[in-house]
Amino acid sequence: MATRLSRRKIAAFYADELLAGRDIRAQLAAYLVETRRTREYELLARDIEAALADRGVLVADIASSATLSSESRKAVEMYLLDATNAKQIYMRESTDSSLLGGVKAAIPGRELDATLRHKLNQLKASKI
Amino acid sequence: MEYVLTQFASTESTSDGGIFGALGIDITMLVLQAIAFLILVVLLGKFVYPVLIKAVDDRQEKIEESVKAAQAAEEKAESAQENIAALLKEARKEAKEIVTTAKDEATAMVEASDKKAKQRSEKIVADAHEQIEKDVIAARKALHNDTIELVALATEKVIGKTMSSNVDDKVIAAAVKEAN
Repeated sequence: MATRLSRRKIAAFYADELLAGRDIRAQLAAYLVETRRTREYELLARDIEAALADRGVLVADIASSATLSSESRKAVEMYLLDATNAKQIYMRESTDSSLLGGVKAAIPGRELDATLRHKLNQLKASKI
Repeated sequence: MEYVLTQFASTESTSDGGIFGALGIDITMLVLQAIAFLILVVLLGKFVYPVLIKAVDDRQEKIEESVKAAQAAEEKAESAQENIAALLKEARKEAKEIVTTAKDEATAMVEASDKKAKQRSEKIVADAHEQIEKDVIAARKALHNDTIELVALATEKVIGKTMSSNVDDKVIAAAVKEAN
Protein backbone atom coordinates (compact mmCIF):
# COMPACT_ATOMS: atom_id res chain seq x y z
CA MET A 1 0.00 0.00 0.00
CA ALA A 2 1.35 3.39 -1.05
CA THR A 3 2.19 5.96 1.59
CA ARG A 4 -0.24 8.84 1.79
CA LEU A 5 1.62 11.97 0.77
CA SER A 6 1.09 15.20 2.57
CA ARG A 7 -0.70 17.96 0.73
CA ARG A 8 2.32 20.18 1.12
CA LYS A 9 4.60 17.73 -0.67
CA ILE A 10 2.08 17.25 -3.43
CA ALA A 11 1.75 21.01 -3.80
CA ALA A 12 5.50 21.47 -3.96
CA PHE A 13 5.77 18.76 -6.62
CA TYR A 14 3.06 20.20 -8.82
CA ALA A 15 4.39 23.74 -8.36
CA ASP A 16 7.71 22.57 -9.72
CA GLU A 17 5.92 20.83 -12.52
CA LEU A 18 4.06 23.96 -13.42
CA LEU A 19 7.24 26.03 -13.37
CA ALA A 20 8.75 23.48 -15.67
CA GLY A 21 5.98 24.31 -18.12
CA ARG A 22 4.04 21.09 -17.88
CA ASP A 23 0.29 20.83 -17.88
CA ILE A 24 -0.55 19.18 -14.61
CA ARG A 25 -4.32 19.28 -14.75
CA ALA A 26 -4.96 15.77 -16.00
CA GLN A 27 -2.25 14.22 -13.88
CA LEU A 28 -3.41 16.01 -10.74
CA ALA A 29 -7.03 15.10 -11.34
CA ALA A 30 -6.11 11.47 -11.86
CA TYR A 31 -4.04 11.45 -8.73
CA LEU A 32 -6.79 12.96 -6.61
CA VAL A 33 -9.33 10.48 -7.94
CA GLU A 34 -6.99 7.55 -7.46
CA THR A 35 -6.13 8.55 -3.92
CA ARG A 36 -9.74 9.49 -3.20
CA ARG A 37 -8.77 12.99 -2.20
CA THR A 38 -10.95 14.92 -4.58
CA ARG A 39 -12.41 16.81 -1.64
CA GLU A 40 -9.04 18.35 -1.06
CA TYR A 41 -8.95 19.88 -4.51
CA GLU A 42 -9.47 23.45 -3.42
CA LEU A 43 -7.08 23.17 -0.53
CA LEU A 44 -4.48 21.59 -2.76
CA ALA A 45 -4.92 24.37 -5.32
CA ARG A 46 -4.26 26.91 -2.61
CA ASP A 47 -1.24 24.99 -1.41
CA ILE A 48 0.13 24.86 -4.97
CA GLU A 49 -0.36 28.63 -5.23
CA ALA A 50 1.47 29.05 -1.93
CA ALA A 51 4.28 26.81 -3.17
CA LEU A 52 4.49 28.85 -6.38
CA ALA A 53 4.62 32.04 -4.28
CA ASP A 54 7.55 30.56 -2.36
CA ARG A 55 9.22 30.08 -5.70
CA GLY A 56 8.64 33.67 -6.78
CA VAL A 57 5.53 33.11 -8.85
CA LEU A 58 2.47 34.84 -7.48
CA VAL A 59 -1.10 33.85 -8.28
CA ALA A 60 -3.47 36.60 -7.23
CA ASP A 61 -7.25 36.74 -7.20
CA ILE A 62 -8.24 40.24 -8.21
CA ALA A 63 -11.80 41.39 -7.71
CA SER A 64 -13.19 44.73 -8.78
CA SER A 65 -16.56 46.31 -9.48
CA ALA A 66 -15.79 46.56 -13.20
CA THR A 67 -13.15 45.26 -15.52
CA LEU A 68 -9.82 46.76 -14.60
CA SER A 69 -8.28 49.25 -16.94
CA SER A 70 -4.77 48.52 -18.15
CA GLU A 71 -3.45 51.28 -15.88
CA SER A 72 -5.14 49.90 -12.84
CA ARG A 73 -4.10 46.38 -13.66
CA LYS A 74 -0.51 47.52 -14.05
CA ALA A 75 -0.62 49.47 -10.79
CA VAL A 76 -1.98 46.48 -8.90
CA GLU A 77 0.52 44.16 -10.50
CA MET A 78 3.42 46.42 -9.61
CA TYR A 79 2.20 46.76 -6.07
CA LEU A 80 1.85 43.01 -5.58
CA LEU A 81 5.24 42.28 -7.06
CA ASP A 82 6.76 44.93 -4.79
CA ALA A 83 4.95 43.73 -1.72
CA THR A 84 5.81 40.05 -2.15
CA ASN A 85 9.17 40.28 -3.90
CA ALA A 86 7.79 37.90 -6.50
CA LYS A 87 9.34 37.67 -9.95
CA GLN A 88 6.25 36.78 -11.84
CA ILE A 89 2.56 37.29 -11.29
CA TYR A 90 -0.61 35.72 -12.64
CA MET A 91 -3.82 37.56 -11.92
CA ARG A 92 -7.22 35.85 -11.84
CA GLU A 93 -9.60 38.69 -12.37
CA SER A 94 -13.27 38.79 -11.51
CA THR A 95 -15.90 41.48 -11.29
CA ASP A 96 -18.47 42.04 -8.58
CA SER A 97 -20.64 45.14 -8.80
CA SER A 98 -21.42 44.98 -5.09
CA LEU A 99 -17.82 46.03 -4.44
CA LEU A 100 -18.85 49.50 -5.75
CA GLY A 101 -15.30 50.53 -6.62
CA GLY A 102 -11.66 49.90 -5.90
CA VAL A 103 -9.94 46.54 -5.96
CA LYS A 104 -9.47 43.49 -3.77
CA ALA A 105 -6.40 41.34 -4.19
CA ALA A 106 -6.05 38.01 -2.50
CA ILE A 107 -2.65 36.27 -2.54
CA PRO A 108 -1.46 33.30 -0.48
CA GLY A 109 -1.38 34.39 3.14
CA ARG A 110 -2.51 37.96 2.50
CA GLU A 111 -5.36 40.04 1.24
CA LEU A 112 -5.55 43.65 0.16
CA ASP A 113 -9.09 44.92 0.27
CA ALA A 114 -9.21 48.44 -1.11
CA THR A 115 -12.81 48.29 -2.29
CA LEU A 116 -15.36 50.94 -1.46
CA ARG A 117 -17.61 48.22 -0.09
CA HIS A 118 -14.93 47.33 2.43
CA LYS A 119 -14.53 50.98 3.39
CA LEU A 120 -18.28 51.34 3.84
CA ASN A 121 -18.34 48.18 5.93
CA GLN A 122 -15.54 49.60 8.06
CA LEU A 123 -17.53 52.81 8.43
CA LYS A 124 -20.60 50.84 9.52
CA ALA A 125 -18.49 48.81 11.91
CA SER A 126 -17.37 52.02 13.61
CA LYS A 127 -20.89 52.46 14.99
CA ILE A 128 -20.94 52.73 18.75
CA MET B 1 -72.41 121.54 158.17
CA GLU B 2 -72.22 122.54 161.61
CA TYR B 3 -75.20 120.36 162.26
CA VAL B 4 -73.54 117.30 160.89
CA LEU B 5 -70.42 117.82 162.97
CA THR B 6 -72.34 118.29 166.05
CA GLN B 7 -74.46 115.29 165.37
CA PHE B 8 -71.32 113.06 165.14
CA ALA B 9 -69.91 114.64 168.21
CA SER B 10 -73.01 114.00 170.14
CA THR B 11 -73.07 110.41 169.09
CA GLU B 12 -69.52 109.88 170.26
CA SER B 13 -70.16 111.36 173.52
CA THR B 14 -73.24 109.30 174.18
CA SER B 15 -72.01 105.79 173.25
CA ASP B 16 -70.29 103.24 175.55
CA GLY B 17 -67.53 100.65 174.95
CA GLY B 18 -64.43 102.57 174.17
CA ILE B 19 -63.19 103.30 170.80
CA PHE B 20 -65.28 100.60 168.98
CA GLY B 21 -68.24 101.91 170.66
CA ALA B 22 -67.29 105.40 169.73
CA LEU B 23 -66.94 104.24 166.17
CA GLY B 24 -70.22 102.40 166.29
CA ILE B 25 -68.73 98.96 165.78
CA ASP B 26 -70.20 95.96 167.49
CA ILE B 27 -67.33 93.71 168.48
CA THR B 28 -69.40 90.59 168.58
CA MET B 29 -70.88 91.30 165.32
CA LEU B 30 -67.44 92.04 163.95
CA VAL B 31 -66.05 88.77 165.17
CA LEU B 32 -68.92 86.83 163.79
CA GLN B 33 -68.61 88.55 160.50
CA ALA B 34 -64.88 87.85 160.50
CA ILE B 35 -65.51 84.17 161.17
CA ALA B 36 -68.14 84.07 158.45
CA PHE B 37 -65.71 85.75 156.15
CA LEU B 38 -63.02 83.23 156.92
CA ILE B 39 -65.42 80.37 156.41
CA LEU B 40 -66.41 81.91 153.10
CA VAL B 41 -62.81 82.30 152.14
CA VAL B 42 -62.06 78.70 153.11
CA LEU B 43 -65.07 77.43 151.17
CA LEU B 44 -64.25 79.53 148.17
CA GLY B 45 -60.63 78.46 148.36
CA LYS B 46 -61.55 74.84 148.59
CA PHE B 47 -64.43 74.55 146.14
CA VAL B 48 -64.66 77.52 143.89
CA TYR B 49 -61.20 78.91 143.31
CA PRO B 50 -59.64 75.62 142.18
CA VAL B 51 -62.35 75.15 139.60
CA LEU B 52 -61.99 78.70 138.40
CA ILE B 53 -58.19 78.53 138.44
CA LYS B 54 -58.30 75.23 136.58
CA ALA B 55 -60.68 76.69 134.03
CA VAL B 56 -58.42 79.70 133.69
CA ASP B 57 -55.35 77.48 133.41
CA ASP B 58 -57.02 75.29 130.83
CA ARG B 59 -58.08 78.36 128.94
CA GLN B 60 -54.58 79.75 129.13
CA GLU B 61 -53.13 76.44 128.06
CA LYS B 62 -55.53 76.30 125.15
CA ILE B 63 -54.65 79.82 124.22
CA GLU B 64 -50.96 79.01 124.40
CA GLU B 65 -51.51 75.90 122.34
CA SER B 66 -53.50 77.92 119.88
CA VAL B 67 -50.73 80.49 119.76
CA LYS B 68 -48.18 77.75 119.31
CA ALA B 69 -50.33 76.14 116.66
CA ALA B 70 -50.74 79.47 114.98
CA GLN B 71 -46.99 80.03 115.15
CA ALA B 72 -46.40 76.54 113.85
CA ALA B 73 -48.94 77.13 111.12
CA GLU B 74 -47.31 80.43 110.35
CA GLU B 75 -43.93 78.75 110.25
CA LYS B 76 -45.38 76.00 108.13
CA ALA B 77 -46.96 78.56 105.90
CA GLU B 78 -43.66 80.42 105.64
CA SER B 79 -41.88 77.15 105.02
CA ALA B 80 -44.51 76.17 102.49
CA GLN B 81 -44.20 79.56 100.85
CA GLU B 82 -40.45 79.13 100.72
CA ASN B 83 -40.94 75.65 99.35
CA ILE B 84 -43.43 76.97 96.86
CA ALA B 85 -41.02 79.72 95.93
CA ALA B 86 -38.22 77.19 95.59
CA LEU B 87 -40.48 74.89 93.63
CA LEU B 88 -41.59 77.75 91.45
CA LYS B 89 -37.99 78.75 90.95
CA GLU B 90 -37.07 75.17 90.13
CA ALA B 91 -40.09 74.85 87.90
CA ARG B 92 -39.20 78.10 86.14
CA LYS B 93 -35.65 76.90 85.77
CA GLU B 94 -36.83 73.56 84.43
CA ALA B 95 -39.30 75.27 82.16
CA LYS B 96 -36.57 77.55 80.92
CA GLU B 97 -34.30 74.56 80.38
CA ILE B 98 -37.09 72.70 78.62
CA VAL B 99 -37.78 75.69 76.43
CA THR B 100 -34.07 76.09 75.74
CA THR B 101 -33.71 72.39 75.02
CA ALA B 102 -36.81 72.46 72.85
CA LYS B 103 -35.45 75.47 71.01
CA ASP B 104 -32.10 73.77 70.57
CA GLU B 105 -33.76 70.59 69.43
CA ALA B 106 -36.02 72.51 67.11
CA THR B 107 -33.03 74.37 65.72
CA ALA B 108 -31.12 71.12 65.34
CA MET B 109 -34.11 69.51 63.67
CA VAL B 110 -34.52 72.45 61.34
CA GLU B 111 -30.80 72.39 60.54
CA ALA B 112 -30.88 68.63 60.01
CA SER B 113 -33.96 68.99 57.89
CA ASP B 114 -32.33 71.78 55.91
CA LYS B 115 -29.19 69.74 55.47
CA LYS B 116 -31.17 66.70 54.42
CA ALA B 117 -33.26 68.74 52.02
CA LYS B 118 -30.12 70.34 50.63
CA GLN B 119 -28.45 66.96 50.21
CA ARG B 120 -31.57 65.58 48.60
CA SER B 121 -31.86 68.50 46.26
CA GLU B 122 -28.16 68.25 45.41
CA LYS B 123 -28.61 64.53 44.76
CA ILE B 124 -31.63 65.20 42.59
CA VAL B 125 -29.68 67.81 40.66
CA ALA B 126 -26.66 65.49 40.36
CA ASP B 127 -28.88 62.61 39.23
CA ALA B 128 -30.58 64.89 36.76
CA HIS B 129 -27.19 66.02 35.45
CA GLU B 130 -26.03 62.45 35.21
CA GLN B 131 -29.22 61.40 33.46
CA ILE B 132 -28.97 64.35 31.09
CA GLU B 133 -25.36 63.48 30.40
CA LYS B 134 -26.33 59.86 29.74
CA ASP B 135 -29.16 61.00 27.50
CA VAL B 136 -26.82 63.35 25.66
CA ILE B 137 -24.26 60.56 25.21
CA ALA B 138 -26.97 58.18 24.05
CA ALA B 139 -28.33 60.83 21.70
CA ARG B 140 -24.83 61.50 20.36
CA LYS B 141 -24.28 57.78 19.85
CA ALA B 142 -27.62 57.44 18.12
CA LEU B 143 -26.88 60.47 15.99
CA HIS B 144 -23.40 59.15 15.22
CA ASN B 145 -24.75 55.75 14.24
CA ASP B 146 -27.62 57.19 12.25
CA THR B 147 -25.22 59.52 10.48
CA ILE B 148 -22.89 56.65 9.65
CA GLU B 149 -25.78 54.58 8.41
CA LEU B 150 -27.07 57.46 6.36
CA VAL B 151 -23.66 58.33 4.96
CA ALA B 152 -23.01 54.70 4.08
CA LEU B 153 -26.38 54.41 2.40
CA ALA B 154 -26.02 57.70 0.56
CA THR B 155 -22.47 56.88 -0.49
CA GLU B 156 -23.56 53.50 -1.75
CA LYS B 157 -26.41 55.04 -3.76
CA VAL B 158 -24.29 57.87 -5.14
CA ILE B 159 -21.34 55.66 -5.98
CA GLY B 160 -23.62 53.12 -7.66
CA LYS B 161 -24.82 55.83 -10.02
CA THR B 162 -21.73 57.94 -10.49
CA MET B 163 -18.90 55.46 -10.51
CA SER B 164 -17.05 55.49 -13.80
CA SER B 165 -13.93 53.69 -14.97
CA ASN B 166 -12.05 56.92 -14.60
CA VAL B 167 -13.05 57.33 -10.98
CA ASP B 168 -12.44 53.66 -10.34
CA ASP B 169 -8.92 53.99 -11.70
CA LYS B 170 -8.31 56.90 -9.37
CA VAL B 171 -9.66 54.96 -6.42
CA ILE B 172 -7.44 52.00 -7.23
CA ALA B 173 -4.42 54.22 -7.73
CA ALA B 174 -5.06 55.89 -4.40
CA ALA B 175 -5.52 52.54 -2.69
CA VAL B 176 -2.26 51.18 -4.12
CA LYS B 177 -0.48 54.34 -3.14
CA GLU B 178 -1.88 54.13 0.37
CA ALA B 179 -0.92 50.43 0.62
CA ASN B 180 2.65 51.26 -0.37
